[in-house]
Amino acid sequence: MQNTDCTFICEQFTEYHENSLSSEIRAQVDTHLASCPACTEIFHKLAEVIDTLHNLPTLKASTDFTSTLLSRIETLKQETVWQKIYQSSYTRVAGYAIAAGLIVAIGINIMIDPISPMKSGLQSNFAGEQVNPNQSDESLVEVSDSSANQPADSLTLQNPTINSQSQSMQLVSGKK
Amino acid sequence: MSEKPLKTDEQLIADFQNGNENAFVELVDRYKDRLVNFVYRFLHDMTDAEDMVQETFFKVYKNKHAYREIAKFSTWIYTIAGNLARSELRKRKRRKTYTMSDLSFDDNEFTPVDTGKDTEGIVFNSYAGEEIMKAIYALPEPFKTIIILRDIQELSYEDISTILDIPMGTVKSRVNRARLKLQETLSYLKE
Ligand SMILES: [Zn+2]
Repeated sequence: MQNTDCTFICEQFTEYHENSLSSEIRAQVDTHLASCPACTEIFHKLAEVIDTLHNLPTLKASTDFTSTLLSRIETLKQETVWQKIYQSSYTRVAGYAIAAGLIVAIGINIMIDPISPMKSGLQSNFAGEQVNPNQSDESLVEVSDSSANQPADSLTLQNPTINSQSQSMQLVSGKK
Repeated sequence: MSEKPLKTDEQLIADFQNGNENAFVELVDRYKDRLVNFVYRFLHDMTDAEDMVQETFFKVYKNKHAYREIAKFSTWIYTIAGNLARSELRKRKRRKTYTMSDLSFDDNEFTPVDTGKDTEGIVFNSYAGEEIMKAIYALPEPFKTIIILRDIQELSYEDISTILDIPMGTVKSRVNRARLKLQETLSYLKE
């Protein structure tokens, strides 16, 4: 490339090759190429590269690809079932523990100070505790893989649609 | 012969979201080869490429409700696979700095494979296929991704614009610059 004219012409090569330039610019490229061997050589090589790329053999997945994937998924399903069972028994046990703790705490409280201002505070705490275990079952399945939502900084090939979708996915799964 | 018209990818993912697992298998069948071919161009290792594509479908399975019909299914899955491939590439680069001579390619890479598209009589012109693959591998980003999407996967400018989230005009100019860069690298390799 010798001058700015050549740079401009080279910038048009892809669309020139695809025949998608306006007739005006196309004529400009034609005229330039007729008198510039350097650009002509670049264009021919470029066309050759494109041709080679389009004719690269297409690779195929191995024959057991789908069966391997499906058995992985089957394992995931089983793990999820076990996690759910574990989770629900865990939350039940945790619930009993909290209830037992509260009874003891209230008992101690009453013993120390029969007209306690803390009482209402304890009740609202307890109400807050009850909500969490119910939600955890659902989010376990849907959003267990946080890496699906990570394209932002670590991966430059990014798509805001995917990000916003992931966010709405979390909202949906939390709501269910 | 009146066969049922094929369902679109978007219909299949909707079916899958409604609990039809066969629809998922159909999507796997439609995309596994394309994605292996795509990811391989980044990683140059068939085992790694298959692992990444497995991971891609696994994510689709687990996060099926993340897909919204506002996007094409193909651009969605290409984005997931592309992100995984590039993240793997970065991990590798942290582990080891590759040089051109380190690159070894699978033997079967340049053997024509049954593709249904360009099976017979593949004759490489003066740029050997292997050279071109090395040159692509050596391309800096964002040129590498754009060349793979446009010239190997042959996706439309519109789809690439969605996948990379850049305007169509930028896609076109990057494709042009990437091709010039590739052609330059090849000339250098041949010297
Ligand atoms: Zn010129």
